[in-house]
Amino acid sequence: MKYEFVETFLLAPRALCGPRLATSHSRTPEVVRVSLLEVRDLDAGYGELQILTDVDLDVADEEYVTIVGPNGAGKSTVMKSVFGLTTHMGGTVTFADEDITATKPEDVIHKGLGYVPQNDNVFAELNVEENLEMGAYILDEVPQDALRMVYDRFPILEERKDQKAGTMSGGQQQMLAMGRALMLDPDLLLLDEPSAGLAPDLVDEMFDKIDEINEAGTAVLMVEQNAKEALRRCDRGYVLVNGQNRYVDEGDKLLNDEDVRQDFLGG
Amino acid sequence: MGVSETYARGRRLAGEQPFAIVVGLVAVWLVWFLVEGLVTGRIRVSNVLSYAWDGLLRGLIVGLAGIGLSMTYSILNFANFSHGDYITSGAFSGWAVTYLLAGLGEANIGSLLLVGAGGSVFGGALGIGITTSPLAVVVGMLIAGAASIGLALFIDRFVYKPIRDESGIALLITSVGVAFALRYIIVFVFGTDVRGTTSAGEVPRVSFYLIDGSFRINAHDITLLVVAVGLMLGVHLLLQTTKLGKAMRAMSDNEDLARITGIPTEQVIRATWIVGGGLTGIAGYMFVLWKGTLGFNDGWLLLLLVFAAVILGGIGSIYGAIAGGIVIGLTASMSVIWIPSEFGRAAAFFVMIVILLFKPQGIFSGRTTA
Repeated sequence: MKYEFVETFLLAPRALCGPRLATSHSRTPEVVRVSLLEVRDLDAGYGELQILTDVDLDVADEEYVTIVGPNGAGKSTVMKSVFGLTTHMGGTVTFADEDITATKPEDVIHKGLGYVPQNDNVFAELNVEENLEMGAYILDEVPQDALRMVYDRFPILEERKDQKAGTMSGGQQQMLAMGRALMLDPDLLLLDEPSAGLAPDLVDEMFDKIDEINEAGTAVLMVEQNAKEALRRCDRGYVLVNGQNRYVDEGDKLLNDEDVRQDFLGG
Repeated sequence: MGVSETYARGRRLAGEQPFAIVVGLVAVWLVWFLVEGLVTGRIRVSNVLSYAWDGLLRGLIVGLAGIGLSMTYSILNFANFSHGDYITSGAFSGWAVTYLLAGLGEANIGSLLLVGAGGSVFGGALGIGITTSPLAVVVGMLIAGAASIGLALFIDRFVYKPIRDESGIALLITSVGVAFALRYIIVFVFGTDVRGTTSAGEVPRVSFYLIDGSFRINAHDITLLVVAVGLMLGVHLLLQTTKLGKAMRAMSDNEDLARITGIPTEQVIRATWIVGGGLTGIAGYMFVLWKGTLGFNDGWLLLLLVFAAVILGGIGSIYGAIAGGIVIGLTASMSVIWIPSEFGRAAAFFVMIVILLFKPQGIFSGRTTA
């Protein structure tokens, strides 16, 4: 399905000549059809304050998509909006052909999405295992196979399963937060700045883990301030500026594009 | 050289923490006063033990009532000033049923249900007690819990839920209003007189002779001890081992994260009122059983001590509420060794302030039910 998507994408005429402007993207019906997550003309913000204007975004099955852009561009707001944590002002969010625009935050997880916020993403007062159990709260029983899978992916969590989450290092908390979001084996994982605050040697490890998760079949939508590394690894990237899509293309192409490099990647 | 070093260290301490030195000196004096009194026989060992026993039981009531207050604080983020009147409401509902069961056939049902309002029935005359009418007491206690749960859910649904997203101050002021409304509804129905519910002389008790005097424990002391410790243990197990309990802790820790994890927050809030309300009602009932009198101000007056205990323990922590309750109870009761009994409450608050000066976040600092 992933390749089918890329093919469709490459067949679109403007894809051949550098990064396309986002507005043209939303007019490409082929892309829409294969989307798992589909954001259309989204306007959203907090209370009276509008942050996002006409944002379009697609994530296909098993695809790895990154949102990059300057500080304050509204990258995190896109993620929060998908989870119903912002004030909705217009547009739609569709997931697996179901309109989830008005779905309450506590119900979004039932649809097959997992979300790792940037800050405060673990229950500090609960121990590691309890945090993971909370990840599967909506199930009657803690799924032992999922727990096993998370422990296999992040062995440090099993070693420290009785430790209070709040007493762990930033990197370990980040892994716990991801593990928690994986407990329901979501179709799409939203990651908000997974490398933020990590020691440099841990950043690579974190990106490797995300690659593994994606290769195992989970679509990933990631916001990253470490734009170069994120674009290098993802299938496709969006550049968000002032709450609007500016560019969208395959990660490598964005990375090599002169305009994108100059404006957003520091040359 | 040794002397001058010690002197320098003393000077530094005096400069940095003059208050610590004052508190230290006062503590030394208090201990000296007690030891000297015990040695010379001016203070009886048996009396000290009796005060401690009394303080422990008082502390258990305060702690039990404090758990509910602490839970609603940590999960709903507001200090519920109507909590004291939930205590009173629970006590009146429970005792109405106890009177009814114990006095059926001996007095008219109306007087019994009004807990002998206007002196129409006297609890002592009905022979109420854990040994004389165990069924009436146990059922009354359960009804007290159930009534407080019902009341807490009702008030939450119609008063607090509509303003859930307002600031803590708005909720706090509202709860003060709820407190007055409840209290005067109780006055309207049950009247203002303080009635005796059990006759102290008839409660079975054992006396020990201890060194220099007797030390008594009565059946209601034991009942209170068993019920309070049992319920505290129950809450502990609920919070640590059940899914609901973990969800409560998760929500008190990080509400937004709880929400995106799929924890149904309104359900958890309801569960919090059920657990907190039930404990509060039972605490009110046990308080009345233990002290033997019932009046419309009981819960309100107790609330000040409950708040002191909860803040002392670290607001939001149930273990803090229990520990704080015991410290407050022991202080209020044992202070009579040093000062006239009228100042027992004042001493409890004074100790609270002193402890908070050293540990501003409370004994179990942090905003959590864990």
